[in-house]
Order: sequence, then C-alpha cells, then structure tokens
Amino acid sequence: MQKKEKILFLKRLFLLTAVFFFIDFTLGLAAKYIFFSQKTGKYARITYSISENESDLLIMGSSHAIRHFIPEIFEKKLNITCYNSGVQGQKIIFHTALQRMILKRYTPKTIILNIDPEWMYTSDEAYETLADFYPYYWNNRDELHSILSIKSEFIDFPLMLNSYQMNSTIVHAARYFFVPQNDDKGYLPLYEKMDKNKISKTDINTKNKTAEQGSVFDLNFITAFEEFIKNAKKNNIGLYFVISPWVNRDDLVTEPSMKKMISIADQYTIKILDYSKNKLFLNKFELFYDPGHLNNDGAVLFSNLIAEELIKETDSSHTKTSN
Amino acid sequence: MLFNSIEFFIFLPIVFLLYWFVLNRNLKIQNLLLVSASYVFYGWWDWRFLSLIIISSFVDYFVGIGLGKTENPGKRKLLLFISVCINLGLLGIFKYFNFFTESFAHAFTFFGMAIDPARLSIVLPVGISFYTFQTLSYSIDVYNKKISPTRDVLSFLAFVSFFPQLVAGPIERAINLLPQFFKKRQFLYKDMSAGIKLIIFGFFMKLVVADRAAIYVDAVYNNVNNHEGITFIAATILFAFQIYSDFAGYSLIAIGTARLFGFHIMTNFNRPYFAASVGDFWKRWHISLSTWFRDYVYIPLGGNRTSTPRWLINIFITFLVSGLWHGANWTFVLWGALNGIYLIAEAVFFKSGRKGILNVFITFLLICFSWIFFRAANITDAFHIVHSILTKPGKLFIPEGADIVAPVYALLAILLLVIVEFKKEYFDRAGRLKKINHSSAKIAYYSIVVFVILYIGVFNSSQFIYFQF
Repeated sequence: MQKKEKILFLKRLFLLTAVFFFIDFTLGLAAKYIFFSQKTGKYARITYSISENESDLLIMGSSHAIRHFIPEIFEKKLNITCYNSGVQGQKIIFHTALQRMILKRYTPKTIILNIDPEWMYTSDEAYETLADFYPYYWNNRDELHSILSIKSEFIDFPLMLNSYQMNSTIVHAARYFFVPQNDDKGYLPLYEKMDKNKISKTDINTKNKTAEQGSVFDLNFITAFEEFIKNAKKNNIGLYFVISPWVNRDDLVTEPSMKKMISIADQYTIKILDYSKNKLFLNKFELFYDPGHLNNDGAVLFSNLIAEELIKETDSSHTKTSN
Repeated sequence: MLFNSIEFFIFLPIVFLLYWFVLNRNLKIQNLLLVSASYVFYGWWDWRFLSLIIISSFVDYFVGIGLGKTENPGKRKLLLFISVCINLGLLGIFKYFNFFTESFAHAFTFFGMAIDPARLSIVLPVGISFYTFQTLSYSIDVYNKKISPTRDVLSFLAFVSFFPQLVAGPIERAINLLPQFFKKRQFLYKDMSAGIKLIIFGFFMKLVVADRAAIYVDAVYNNVNNHEGITFIAATILFAFQIYSDFAGYSLIAIGTARLFGFHIMTNFNRPYFAASVGDFWKRWHISLSTWFRDYVYIPLGGNRTSTPRWLINIFITFLVSGLWHGANWTFVLWGALNGIYLIAEAVFFKSGRKGILNVFITFLLICFSWIFFRAANITDAFHIVHSILTKPGKLFIPEGADIVAPVYALLAILLLVIVEFKKEYFDRAGRLKKINHSSAKIAYYSIVVFVILYIGVFNSSQFIYFQF
C-alpha cells in the first residue's frame, strides 16, 4: 500500500516536473524575446550598454547620472562619442558589475562615475536591486556570479529557471511598449522646475541624514568601489568621479560614506569633480526638479561645466605628456 | 531559515527524502530526524537561540511528568507556576524588558522625575512568542487534566520544535499535535498532493500579494510626513491585504509542509475579510492564537459566564493582552484595545449579530482602521495618519517610473486572491474545479499559479511579518 502510494507520488511528481520545465522553457523563450526586444526603458538601456554601445565616453551612476549628464553636449564639446549608462536607484555594487560586463566587450576611453553620498552604507536594497541582472546572468556568469552570490551561494539554482530570470519584467516591458520612455543616448531629462514652497521638511532636514541613522559601511561596497577604480586603471581608462549638486545640501563631502570614497579616490589618484558646494547650483531652485535632481536647464549648465573640466584635464595631461 | 529562501528549497527535499525513503522504518528515528531538522531550520538564524527552545521544552517536559506524579494541589500549582514563570519570564526578558523599563521611565518623566531607563541590548529570538505559547499550553492542559503527560522525550521535543510551524504558528495544542508523534505516519498520495497545493498557494499569497503590496505600504508608512489622507487610505487597504497574505500565506506553507510529513495541523485563517462582524472576524483570523487566548485568558477570567460588566471587561482585557503579545509597542496595545472596543460595542448594540454584504464591508473598514495602529511605527505616526485621513485628503501618491510596477502587480494579485476567496466563501460547493475532478485541470490551475509566482513574485527573501512577534 505504502509502496504503491510512493510510486504514484513519484510518477506524478516526475510528470509535473517535466511539464513544469517544458512550460518554463517555452514561456521563457517568449519572455526573453520580449525582454531583449525592448526599445526604451531601463532594461533597454542596460542591454544597449552591455551589448552594443562603443562610445568613447561612458557616464555611469544612479538617477543623478541619468538626469544630469547630456551626452550630446559632451560629444559636441569634446568631439567624441558618449553614452549615458546610468541606472536609476542602483548603487556602486551594481555599477561595478555593469562595468565588468561592459569591459568584457569593449574599452571606453573615459568613464565618468557620478558618486552618491550614501553608497558605502550597508543597504539591503542595493542587493535586492541586483535582480535587474538576472536576465543577463548566463551570458555573463563570470562577471556576475561573485556579486550575485554574496546574498545566496545557491543563486545558480533558481536562475536555471527562465521564469525566475524574467521575474518582474513583463509589466515593465509592456509599460514601455505602450508608453515608450525615449531617452537621448541614455539621458532622461526632467523639465519641471522645483517649487521652493513645496519642499518638504524632510527634504530640508537632510543634512547628514544617513550618518544620523547610524548607518555602517558595507565592506562589499567598499571592495566594489575599489574594484571599479582598479578595472579602469587596468584598462587605461580615464576615470573621473563627479559629486552632483543638491539644491540645499552643501555638506555632502562631510558624509562619512562620501569621505570614505574620497579617501579611496585620493589613494588611487582619481580626480573628483565636486559640485556640491558650487554656488551656481546651491539654492537655485529654478535649476532643479527636486532637491537632488537637476532639471533640463540645470543639466545643460552642469554638463557644460563638466565638459569644460574634461577639456582642461585633457589639455593638462597633454601638456604633461609633451613636457 | 525562511520558507521563501533558496536554502529552504534545498533543505525541504533532503529532509522529505530521508524521512519517507531512508528512515521510514523506525518511528523514533523519524522523530529524531524531525527534531534535528527543526533545530537546523531554527539554528540557521542564530544557533545560540536554540538553547531557549531546549530550555522551554525540558521545563515543560519535566513539569508535565511532575504533574502526572502528584495529586497534591499545592505541588501541582507550584509546578504550573514554575512553567508559567520560566516561559513567560523568557518572553518577558527577550521581548518586553526594554519596553517596560522605557515606559516606566516615560511615566516618571511625566510626573517630573527624570529616570534613565535600564536598557538591555537584546535581540528578539525569532518565534519566541509562538513556541512559548505552544509549550505553555501543554503544561496548562496537563494541569487541567485535559491530556496525560508524555514520557516520550523525543516526541515532546519534536512537538515543541516542529519546523513547519515553529516560528510563526499555527500555535498547536498538544492534544492535537503531540499524539501524531506517537504513531507511525502513513505516506498517502492525497496528503502529499494537498500539501504541495497548500504550499503553492501559500507562496502565491506571500510572494505575490504580500510582498508586492509591501513595496507601496512601506513607501507610505515609512515616510508619513510626505503623504496625505487618500494615500494613507490606499496604503492601509493594501496593508490589510499584505498582512493577511503574509501571515495566511505563511500558515498555508506551514500546514502544507506538515502535511508532507504526514501531520495535520489546524487551519489558521478562514477568509477573515468576508466576516460580517468583528466577532466573526476574530473567529476567522489567526484562529490558533484567538482560541489560545479564549482558552487560557478569556475563560479563566470568567468568560461570559459572569455579570455583563465583568464579561465586557474580560473581552477588553483579552484583547489588550493579545495586542501586547503582538509586540512591545504601544501601537499594538492600542490596536488590541480598539478591537476590544469593537467587540464590546457589538456585544452591547448588536446582540443578534450582524450579517449581509454591507456588514462585511463595514467590518472590513473597521479592521482597516485598526491596522493603522498595527502598522504605524509609533503612536504619533498613527494619530498623524488618522488626522490626515480625516482632514487632508490630498493627492494619491503614484510611484514614478519603473516603481509603478509594484502596486500594479499588487492590485492584480489582490484581485485574483479576492476572486478565489469569494468563490470559496459563497460558491464552494458548486466550485467547478471540484466538479471537474480531473487531474489535468488541477495541474493546469496550479501550474498557472506557480508561473504567476515565478514571473511576478518578489524574491528578496523578505521576512514574514509575524516572525517579529
């Protein structure tokens, strides 16, 4: 009796598993086709960055990168090609993984990384959002495994399922199919001007916000930050860090996390372009969309200033070389 | 170990195969495997806290034996007192010490005397409220001679630490669960099939409904100063579904997992949002805890076999204690008190009970209102939210860009859940799935649920809400 029940169970389980894998495979093929056919939106930009882009200048970073750096301006001023590979809401561990995948295929001449003040602090969200890489995992396992396995050593197992790789991507793809999010070589402009009166109390009282919360550094993030620099150095890429302006924060460099990044950058002699105290932006509400993001007017001014700095840097390095 | 972790998906099949296919000839060895597996499962968080489970288990094991040996009322009371003191003592130290010292300090400050509260740096052991209540109920039942004490130490350890329901219930009674460890379990196909189905639907509730809703709820409740009335209403309704799906989902996974090992544990939720009164709601919500409080708090206080004022006070005290059980925070006490007031109002004004779809809706609104106090980080936030709902409707917060995806998924999943539960509540006997007793239809149905989970579930290994209690 017991034996019969067990055999029946195992038979059904086997059948169910076979059907499951078959459906997973076929549905997965369709889901992957849809995913990699996206023309606009976050995943389309990541896919383009990983598999097609060959620009001389690469902008990387979070929403500040996407909203503040206009590739067209850099292209005109520096006479080079440029693409903005910023990804909203992502932190250094993501950008290092993205950099690994990009460098596997081609080497840009210059990378600008916009650094955010809280990047070194421990953050569950930073690990959770690494799921954005799942669809790319098996084509880039060497680059991604060590990072994705920080939270689970067994990451290979669930990622064998196509459906798991494509988790949370369907509505995203549908949304940008019906309402395309057109970008300008990765740059996503914000056109509204910030209403000074609508700034909330929390937005005003952000000074040393993260430090006050008693945040601690995450060693993985520090390692990722160092790796980002080392990868650039190893490939002879000109690397610049940029600290973007905030409308009401002139204390970004006093944030312990930012101090840590600055000290690491100094250690590797990486140039930091710090605009956190720049008077052209501080309290200039008309250049901002919200306290931390420039609007298009702000981005034009900012991109021009950064491009000028890059020209100066290039000139001085030429001078040094010729001397 | 979390049910929604990759580790559990490796752990469960290993234990299952060992249990049914390797160690299935000897009951004691099977029980030993369950104890070992349960300790591994629990120790995955922090092995040091295993000592608390072991202490609690042995205290009640020996108290039970002691109670079985003596008829002397004084000695029996002393033994019960030992069990209550040690179990509630552990709970008091680990869960309530800081809460009470801080509350006393605040009280003294109110009277103009500044006192620095003694704080202990204590980590709350996962599930302590659950296994403490489970093991405590054993000693009380033995004391009340509802069950005989067991001398089978392995079965008793397995009863206290049984991994499917160890960390968040259902809080089983010894009278139901313990005897199942004494007799040989049968491998039955229908049990296995039922277990897997329960697990699948549990994961749907947790990963798709609860965790998707949580994204919007957290965005609002963690930034109460940046939102207004209509957004709080939306977030509170989503929270109602989040907490239900989180906990009922966990319970289904627990019940389903237990079924895979041949155990039948009690139903914990019975479509609570279809309740037509708050009284009815509490017969459907967290049933194992509600009945625990009924049997070990409400009835010993006198229940309803007393004067009306005393009866109403008994209801209120029971809910106050239930609120405090949920967490060491005044928000939970207020939440419990509010539910107590609802029940008192129903007892006084609606003696014949409430029925009908309108009452289902009213009950849902009342329960949602109480969830504000349950979810808010503190009393100030809770009253800010209530004030905002009543005075400042404002604009609905709609996440920008890709973040809109989470609430869209949450709403779709909630709709699906409501349809399934509506059908079960009102049309279960005419249910098509039951009529077409065809395995391929069932396989198709559960396959769809599995793929919905895989495609739109949230796989960030988030804690179950009730693990913190």
